[in-house]
Amino acid sequence: MTIALSIQDVHVTLGHNEVLKGVSLDAAPGEFVTLLGASGSGKTTLLNVIAGLQHVHRGHVLFDGQSVERRPPRKRKVGVVFQSYALFPRMSVGENVAFPLRAAGRPKAERRRIAQEMLDLVDLGGMADRTTDSLSGGQQQRVALARALAANPGILLLDEPMAALDKQLRERMQVEIKRIQQRVGITTLSVTHDQAEAMTMSDRVAIMHHGRLIQVDTPEQLYRRPVNEYVASFLGEANLFPADGQGPLGSGMTDRATGTAVIRPEDLVVLDPRQGADRWHVRGVVSLLSFQGSRFRLELATPGGQTVVCSLPPHTDVSLLLPGSEATLGCAEPRHVHIIDTTEAGRLVELAA
Amino acid sequence: MTDSPLRRGIGWWRLPVLGVALLTSLLFYVPFLVVVATSWTETSFIIFPPQGFSATWYSDVLLDPEWMDAFKVSLRVSAAGTVISVVLGTLGALALTRLRSRAARRWVRTLFIVPMAIPPVAYAVGLYSVNLEVAALGDNLALLILGEALLAMPYVFVMVSSGLSQADPALRPAASTLGASWPLIVWRIDLPMIAGHMLAGAVFAFAVIFDEVVLSVFLAPVGVKTLPLQMLNASQEALSPQLTAASTLVSMLAVLLLGAFSLYSNRRTARARRRARKATTA
Repeated sequence: MTIALSIQDVHVTLGHNEVLKGVSLDAAPGEFVTLLGASGSGKTTLLNVIAGLQHVHRGHVLFDGQSVERRPPRKRKVGVVFQSYALFPRMSVGENVAFPLRAAGRPKAERRRIAQEMLDLVDLGGMADRTTDSLSGGQQQRVALARALAANPGILLLDEPMAALDKQLRERMQVEIKRIQQRVGITTLSVTHDQAEAMTMSDRVAIMHHGRLIQVDTPEQLYRRPVNEYVASFLGEANLFPADGQGPLGSGMTDRATGTAVIRPEDLVVLDPRQGADRWHVRGVVSLLSFQGSRFRLELATPGGQTVVCSLPPHTDVSLLLPGSEATLGCAEPRHVHIIDTTEAGRLVELAA
Repeated sequence: MTDSPLRRGIGWWRLPVLGVALLTSLLFYVPFLVVVATSWTETSFIIFPPQGFSATWYSDVLLDPEWMDAFKVSLRVSAAGTVISVVLGTLGALALTRLRSRAARRWVRTLFIVPMAIPPVAYAVGLYSVNLEVAALGDNLALLILGEALLAMPYVFVMVSSGLSQADPALRPAASTLGASWPLIVWRIDLPMIAGHMLAGAVFAFAVIFDEVVLSVFLAPVGVKTLPLQMLNASQEALSPQLTAASTLVSMLAVLLLGAFSLYSNRRTARARRRARKATTA
């Protein structure tokens, strides 16, 4: 019973603080959308608005085209996985998962059967009689997920689901939750400040900044075609150069509109100083070189004071790139350089401020 | 002893520290031990050191209908007062968690706790004038019970509030998104969580009410005495060792009750700790 979600121009003010300044977002049935933003950007508030835990001052929340602003949380049929999981103490794992069914007044046999199905779904089939505090963090998270899905909600909301897990478990659970979400086929909205998590799990990512959505797009599009500098440097690392006709990209690089050029670290290569003259290049002093397994990470300080980050393949000969030595970087694939149109970006930044 | 934490922590300072600790505990228990000792004297008045040894005064108290009646009245008043204070205090604490405004929460909390600082005499006089006005309250324990319940309620409120404040604030929103109505939330989420704190609050309330004398002076119906009132009277009339014997008996009862309670709660925490340990190894 998955639904289409539509958020239309939602405003929320807490005290004197306008937390959401007109947010609009649509999610198709079965889609996984992640709200990605720094803390304080309003993403959890938006989640609470959908769950009905936060009052909307202006705007609409539609489930399958029906306005639900006046519907209390318990009548919205949403499944929420809270950051702390909020498992009920003094209830066994099975009772926790069966709780929404008890609230719906389902008969006992049915409650037990569905709870067991849900626990099987999250791979905790044998744990129904355990107490919640005897579970590990990852298991608790899966219990919370099973409980959120037990009453067959129309939409699943995940509030920083990985925050309480250590890094390795986090990566495993991202894949695991994505798998379960696809199997159930439920519309899902997740909130996180972890860009890797957002990119792993989502069909689309919505970048949130100061109570507004800056850009909503697939992870790939966000990475390759950020609409402004904020998105460019928030999602992955970006080297930003002016592309105004006189800057380093002025000649030979592109003849498209003026603005800011975004060059990703992996699109930079080390040039032989003698051959760089006729192509676009940037010179500087190596300030850091570190080996990170799958890549080398090179940081270059330019005479202008900018730090340029470059990611090199792991088998690069780095003997000439020791800290303190001079290096010249060029662009491997000029086609991959994205230009943020200043006029359009300027307008967006203005809106966001 | 050679490498105790105390020695490592404060070196030779531990001698005066231990001295103060010892003195303090003496201060706690010596008066009580004196009371216990005087209760077995053979004389007909309280004297220390006691002369001889007899259990006369104990059998005297236990067989004296006046003392036993007072004891029964106190039990009744304490039990009823405890129930009322636990219900009201718990409701107050639960209501506090449902207030959205932080300022309102602070005010309500203060208003619930301030009565601890109001002298019982003030309550007593206030309720006494109510007693004079309302004829129906004239000859029974209702007003006394109500007054005692009001005195004890802040203790329950504080205990239960502390229990609720330890809970994850997301529990209730979680339950409501899962479709639970408020009665179900109170019954299945809140109450199981604070049951232990309610019990602790009840023990406190019971002890407060059982020992309270000022309200009894004002509000007990004519001819009815609570145990503290009976003791007060006994101390004012003849300083009979009945008084110390009764005190000893009450103290024994209290020790047994509180001992049983702390044994029970220790077991609970030990069980919780065992569970937590199992979780970390799992």
